[in-house]
Amino acid sequence: MAVFKDASEVYLCIGGLFRRALTEPLAQKVSDSKISVRFNYSDPDSAITVDAKNPPPGEPYTIYEGDINFKPDVVMSMKADVAHQFWLGKVNLVAALAKGQMKAVGPIQSIIKLIPVIKPAFELYPQYLKEIGRADLTQ
Amino acid sequence: MLPEFLDFSMRTRVMGAAGLVRELGDQVTRLGVERAFIVSDRTLEKLGLVERARQGLTAGGVTVVGEFLDVPPNSDVNVVERAAAAAGEAGGDVLVAIGGGSVIDTAKGMNMVLSKGGNLMDYQGLGLINEPLGKLVAVPTTAGTGSEVTNMAVIKDPAARVKYSFTSPYLGPDLAVLDPEMTLGLPPGLTASTGMDALTHAVEAYLSVSANPISDGLALYAIRVINQWLPRATLVGSSVEARYWMLIGSNLAGAAFSNSLVGCVHAMAHALGGLFDVPHGLANAILLAPGLEYNLDVAAGRIAELAPSFGVWPSGSEEETARAVIEAVKVLAKSCGLPARLRDAGVSESSLNEAAEAAVMDGAIFTNPRPATAEELLEVLKKVV
Repeated sequence: MAVFKDASEVYLCIGGLFRRALTEPLAQKVSDSKISVRFNYSDPDSAITVDAKNPPPGEPYTIYEGDINFKPDVVMSMKADVAHQFWLGKVNLVAALAKGQMKAVGPIQSIIKLIPVIKPAFELYPQYLKEIGRADLTQ
Repeated sequence: MLPEFLDFSMRTRVMGAAGLVRELGDQVTRLGVERAFIVSDRTLEKLGLVERARQGLTAGGVTVVGEFLDVPPNSDVNVVERAAAAAGEAGGDVLVAIGGGSVIDTAKGMNMVLSKGGNLMDYQGLGLINEPLGKLVAVPTTAGTGSEVTNMAVIKDPAARVKYSFTSPYLGPDLAVLDPEMTLGLPPGLTASTGMDALTHAVEAYLSVSANPISDGLALYAIRVINQWLPRATLVGSSVEARYWMLIGSNLAGAAFSNSLVGCVHAMAHALGGLFDVPHGLANAILLAPGLEYNLDVAAGRIAELAPSFGVWPSGSEEETARAVIEAVKVLAKSCGLPARLRDAGVSESSLNEAAEAAVMDGAIFTNPRPATAEELLEVLKKVV
């Protein structure tokens, strides 16, 4: 059974992680990367875009849920379950790519730029899930 | 220790013998194809190596339907698109690449475009090509890149002044023909620098955070072979035996790093190549020893494990043995007449900042054992400018 029952749960948990991170030091690092990344999820179908390329003044980045009307620098595709495990820090990125559990479209340089930036989110995600009463998803 | 994950692939059939190119057509037709499009460069055409391959193809019943002989030393996205268009018009059923890394990587880029459609840059990313491409045969004329067996291609974008890496388990050629007679004419300087490129592949593959037991075995033997044969191949270029073993060493190193990837030395070499056209092998030759010194704090044990392959007797602490390995790298490069300074490759100190910034964004840095910053890589570059 999939971790998330529908797209709204994906947006609450993973979208919420990006919103929660806005007040964390990692937001500045995401902002400094100046790239836009779209995460396409399946099962349930959903999409989240983090745009640090053209954020509103004073904001580190913009979060879009669902469709967007611009071409992001990088598009990463995976099952929402894999994304959930990834943000819990339980997915070996190299292994996931080799097994075809993830694919990435865009310059490899931009993808690599993201890796050190997003690492702090691995600790934040379970903490955030507990804050929203979804500690059941941290097991 | 139980490794977390193992992924190793090599789809290329490797055949090697002196004079094997004379039978190229026989081997190509065994792939079920008979209409070849040749990819090479003008220098190899002048040296008669393309003609030798043509004759080998036609003798075996293969028709040469077209050729693209304008691949430059550092091939780029525009060249790939032009060459793919020419091959598409010619309508062959196999690409035959005769050349060094630039030629073979160009053919890999062409194969993506011809097989999948669209533009080359559509295939920038990870995990994008998950099915076999068209048939590709590679005949290396240098012993360095190992591209005849790797799952990747490095192609420059002249507008962005960046070298892009393309990777897929299906990018590797179907057949690699290692004929030492095809490398006999390589001048000493190029023999040495391309050989040091192969050595760097093997060393960095062994130190990579993605190293695995299979790539380790290939890397260790590659180092042993290259350390033994590179000086002779450089100093006695007519030695078919030395040329053969250097092709083997380069091929082994290619199979190793194709699976475990490389590290900071390649990241810096890619940056210097993209920004200032520094030849890749020469940049690796100059940067391998300082790159190892940079990784010493976190990888002394793994560097020390290379000692027997370099003919160094392990003694003292891990760090002392690792330092002896680094010394052996310097001695090997010097014995082959290679420069030890970037200024000898036309790089000035004022350009190092830009190179360090580019290196830290290069794909190769991801698997370096020590997480690198631009400031640290700048210090490495400054040491050898």
